[in-house]
Amino acid sequence: MSLFKSNFLLFLVLLFTTTACVSIAADELNEEFTEALLLRPLPDRKVLAHFHFQSSVPPTPSYGRHHHIFPKSIYQLVHKFQVREMELSFTQGRWNYERWGGYDPISSGNAKPPGVELWADFDVPGNQVDDSWKNLTHALSGLFCASINFLEHSTTYSAPQWNFRSFSGKLRYGTLPREAVCTENLTPWLKLLPCRDKGGLSALMDRPSIYRGYYHSQRLHLKSDEFDTSKSSSGIVLEQTLTVVLQPNSLGTGETLSGKMLQPSWSLDSLFGRKVRGKCSLSKSSNVYVQFEQNLVSELKNLWKSEESTSEILIHEGFQKNPIFEMPSSPKRVIKEVKNLRTGESILYEFSVEDYDEYEQFDVGLRWKMPVIWSSQQAPLRASRFLMGSGNERGAIAISLKSSGSNIVQRAGREGKECRLRVDIFQVVPWYVKVYYHTLEVFVDGHLQSTIDNIEKIRVSPSEDKVSPGLMEVVLGLPCSVKSAALTLEFDKGFLHIDEYPPDANQGFDIPSAIVSFADFQTNMSFDDVSLKSLPILSKLQERSQVLSYTEVLLVPLTTPDFSMPYNVITITCTVFALYFGSLLNALRRRVGEEERLLNRKAGNKTGPLALMLSKLSAKLRGRPWEPPEPPSSTQSNSNYKLIAKVVLVAGVAAAWQFYFNTS
Amino acid sequence: MAEISDPLLTSTSDSQNSEPEFDQDTMRKTKPGLKRFALTLTVLLSFLLGLPLLLKSVEIYRSPLPFREIDELSAAIESDTVLFPCRFRAVFVDFGGSVFTANELSLSIESDVRKLATRGYTSCGACSYNTSVSVTLDSGSDCVHSGSDLNWKCGKLKNDESFGKYDDELLDDYLRSLLDDNGGSSNGGKVYSVIVVRTEEEEEVRAVVGKYRHAWIIGKVSKEEALKKVAEIFVKVFVNGGKDEGSISGEFMPVGADGRIVLSFNLLNADPRDWHYDWDFQAVDDNLLAPIIEALKPLAEFRVESQVLYHTPKSSFSYWDDKMGSHIFSTNDLPFFVNSNEWHLDTSAAAGGRSKILHFVVYVPSSTECPLLLKLPNGEISATNGFISPMWGSVIVWNPSACLKDAELEPHVRHKIPPEDLRKIFEVFTGQLRQLFGLKSRGFFGDALGTSRLLTSDRGFTEWELDMLSRQHTCFNLLQCGTTLGSLSRLVQSLPRMIIKDEIGKQVKYSLEAARLALSNVSNGVYDASAVSSRQARSFAEDAFYHPSMMSVSYYSFEHCFAVYSPFFLPVSLHVLLAALREWKRYKQESKKYHAWRAISK
Repeated sequence: MSLFKSNFLLFLVLLFTTTACVSIAADELNEEFTEALLLRPLPDRKVLAHFHFQSSVPPTPSYGRHHHIFPKSIYQLVHKFQVREMELSFTQGRWNYERWGGYDPISSGNAKPPGVELWADFDVPGNQVDDSWKNLTHALSGLFCASINFLEHSTTYSAPQWNFRSFSGKLRYGTLPREAVCTENLTPWLKLLPCRDKGGLSALMDRPSIYRGYYHSQRLHLKSDEFDTSKSSSGIVLEQTLTVVLQPNSLGTGETLSGKMLQPSWSLDSLFGRKVRGKCSLSKSSNVYVQFEQNLVSELKNLWKSEESTSEILIHEGFQKNPIFEMPSSPKRVIKEVKNLRTGESILYEFSVEDYDEYEQFDVGLRWKMPVIWSSQQAPLRASRFLMGSGNERGAIAISLKSSGSNIVQRAGREGKECRLRVDIFQVVPWYVKVYYHTLEVFVDGHLQSTIDNIEKIRVSPSEDKVSPGLMEVVLGLPCSVKSAALTLEFDKGFLHIDEYPPDANQGFDIPSAIVSFADFQTNMSFDDVSLKSLPILSKLQERSQVLSYTEVLLVPLTTPDFSMPYNVITITCTVFALYFGSLLNALRRRVGEEERLLNRKAGNKTGPLALMLSKLSAKLRGRPWEPPEPPSSTQSNSNYKLIAKVVLVAGVAAAWQFYFNTS
Repeated sequence: MAEISDPLLTSTSDSQNSEPEFDQDTMRKTKPGLKRFALTLTVLLSFLLGLPLLLKSVEIYRSPLPFREIDELSAAIESDTVLFPCRFRAVFVDFGGSVFTANELSLSIESDVRKLATRGYTSCGACSYNTSVSVTLDSGSDCVHSGSDLNWKCGKLKNDESFGKYDDELLDDYLRSLLDDNGGSSNGGKVYSVIVVRTEEEEEVRAVVGKYRHAWIIGKVSKEEALKKVAEIFVKVFVNGGKDEGSISGEFMPVGADGRIVLSFNLLNADPRDWHYDWDFQAVDDNLLAPIIEALKPLAEFRVESQVLYHTPKSSFSYWDDKMGSHIFSTNDLPFFVNSNEWHLDTSAAAGGRSKILHFVVYVPSSTECPLLLKLPNGEISATNGFISPMWGSVIVWNPSACLKDAELEPHVRHKIPPEDLRKIFEVFTGQLRQLFGLKSRGFFGDALGTSRLLTSDRGFTEWELDMLSRQHTCFNLLQCGTTLGSLSRLVQSLPRMIIKDEIGKQVKYSLEAARLALSNVSNGVYDASAVSSRQARSFAEDAFYHPSMMSVSYYSFEHCFAVYSPFFLPVSLHVLLAALREWKRYKQESKKYHAWRAISK
């Protein structure tokens, strides 16, 4: 009986889920747009603002080609180049992993290397991938007013095999570290939103305040399974995010309480200088979240130990009257992360923009009443990269990994017998930095280790001059107790052809950021409420993603020629040739006999007057009759005399010079 | 050296034992040597000979372009306008008469046609009027033809009982079956016919131009009047498309240089906070646009796109009119209606290169300016509530019913434009598309001899209109191709140091070939093929003209060449020239000396 009952229940459940699925499928056959903004106070008195917009369109066969929300240009792009997945980011500034965190979904998904980063996965036959990539770069550079078309050349992009997301081999990856990012890139990005910056949360994007920030990254990620033949395709999903780190304006900065500095208070108005006037009328949901990260929450609990149920108060009504912080408007709901072992729990306060309009403007803020000090969660190892060596000939790249001191690694290690920490490194080097991959050395805790012991997997595709960049994909297996590790690679600096130098070549050349990821560590937030999955920003936060960080961009100075050199060389060579030619011609024309004869005649005619006088004088002195001096000897003495006179003159000038400069 | 030492020896030996009048400075006893002079001259000459070689070596590659043929082509196109052969025929039912009268009628129609043609009705792509007009006289029982190749089903119309009951649309199809028109695809151009039926029953004379290639006149009409009318329909309607003087001239054919047109349909919601509308574009595309595009296929390659945009206010203000109960936008402000800042219509990845994009915009005003009406200069309200902008596209203002009813609409909800409204909008768009192509948007053609009705096709364009368009299109393509190639050849000839790649030469060659093919097709009267090949000709010509290598700065200037080579050639040539001059001078001087000695010694 009980078996039957349970079977019946199971059947009922199945029935319900299938009907639910059907109804969802019927509902889903529509375009959707959602907007959200996540704000998070950062430990170093700054505020992170993360805008998240998502538009999705059902697959073409069932929905058709006409869209009322999804941007036409992106749809055409996806169909023209058969893009399966693509991510484009424009970033200014560098994400500070140490202070702003390196172990949360936002930092591993939205911290991007400076400049432009583009990767795309295509759904075309293998031999057409490069062509698609080239066309895509041109289309994107037109669309976003950026020089993404520089990624067209095969020296600028690479095809990662397994370390960077892909296993299909149809992925291409390229970066432009020096691309400047400004409003001309933001405006076309905003054009893809149905409301642009005319309504909804994007109205907050006041250009001066956004670009005044410490970090600015605008990102576009699209995923399509339009070309899959299977029925379960979900169409195209376009995700646009803008992540900025701002310094709140002096709203109570410098306020101190019992000797400690208060965290700055802020509101949307003070951060952006604008207010939200209602939601974008096309968006399905429009929410603002304020996030307190795990460490902050536990710090707040510590501060408030006297009370019993701190977390309850943080969540429920009492929160308005709590002694630590204050929010001007109360949240619609509070979402608490499920407690898990590895990380603590973070809290999200949700505010809805829906009910506000032109007359009742929406604002969210945070005012601290007590000084709070906390630090963000760190990735297991902190990666940085630098150059070694000097001179214009050779050098070495070093990637150093330092333990961040968090105890995540130990905790992760407890599970296995021999604990290894897996670190994936993905590094692209331009061809003019000629890396010798055999010089790869691994140092663990300052001691040189054999590479075989520590490298689990490696793939190297060496650079080819003027054809392709060098690519290195490494999986390191480090002992869990590692304090610091380093990887060094030696390289020679190559020479470029004179017309391959970019303008301002003396500034140096950039080596794009390396990507360091920790495959064993996944970051996500987990909420117990299933309904939260329907909100794209929350489902994005709940998605499991690898912890990864980008290293610094390196600046390699190369020997730069004098760019007027070709003309100088031409001029000098031509002059030498002309001199040679002229003297040769003169030598050919020379009449030696005639010249001698003329010289003789001249010598016979006249000797110098001084010599004449001298000889006459000597004759008188000796009492002998004067006779003209022998011409050869006279010329001899004459030239001697001239030589002496010259030497004296030079010496005199030198002495005068010396004297003059000494006195003055 | 021997040459020098010889005179030296002789002179020293001579100076001792020869006669005293020999002066060493002014005379010499030996002939002056030519060795050094010859040497310097050889160097100079070899330099001069080497100069062309050098110039050849620094020469840049220029693909040989057929300049002469280009000139011939543009001369051929420009001198006499491209004229197509067309054939006309007239059928007179119930007029009586014999073969003689048929021929007479034919001649008189021809003379009328030519008279009209000389009065300025020969535009580009018109018909040549030197073909004869064939006339058939149908008297019910038997027919009299003036030509031979006519296939009019004789006597059928007269005997048909139900003839008077047909309305125009049905009559059109019925007459087509009578004419037994085999598509007019026979060699020598399309056949256009006018059928004149004299009936005593109807007092007024009705002239109707059908959807195909024929027109008819029914009523109590005299022979002279009928002849004039027939000639007029031939020239003004069939050949010139019934254009008014004020309409857009055919030179503004909105076809891209690569023969493509992108029709971009945009629905603009001025302020989605009040309401926002969507449309069922898919259905419109399938039902209304597809036939039009199918019909226009010979003219260009069409592509249809659609999008819905929000927050797109117009850029000029309207004023409230109490009498109308609506906001009025006067026609004088139309140039400021399109808001190029906020209307981002132009992002199309599909329209690469030199395709032409025509924008069709439906503007949904916000609640603060609704209903919005356009006022014509004469004070009336525009019936279509839209306007066109030649070569750009058109705009229609659509007022949602909500603003008329003053009902409260729930905001943030997507509404759909009702299908009947959408149908109306696209009918206006069709008319506007016709206008953009230079055709009339109204179904009447009127002039001194009364008005004639023009039947419209549900494809938007009737067959004779398409013929006219494709004739015009061919003609303008050829003209454009001629001018492009002409300016290319002028440009290339004026810049002698510009690199011209082989590819450009090839494109010019293909373009010329296609243009020649188009011209021969024109003279044979094959409309569609000539339109296609003329499009190719133009596209190749434009490709050649806008080739990236022509645009680049690879123009290797003479100044650059001079700057590179002068450091060598300037000093060397100075040396060589001076040496040659000196040697020449010396030789002259020395030979003078010798002659002086010779004169003395004699």
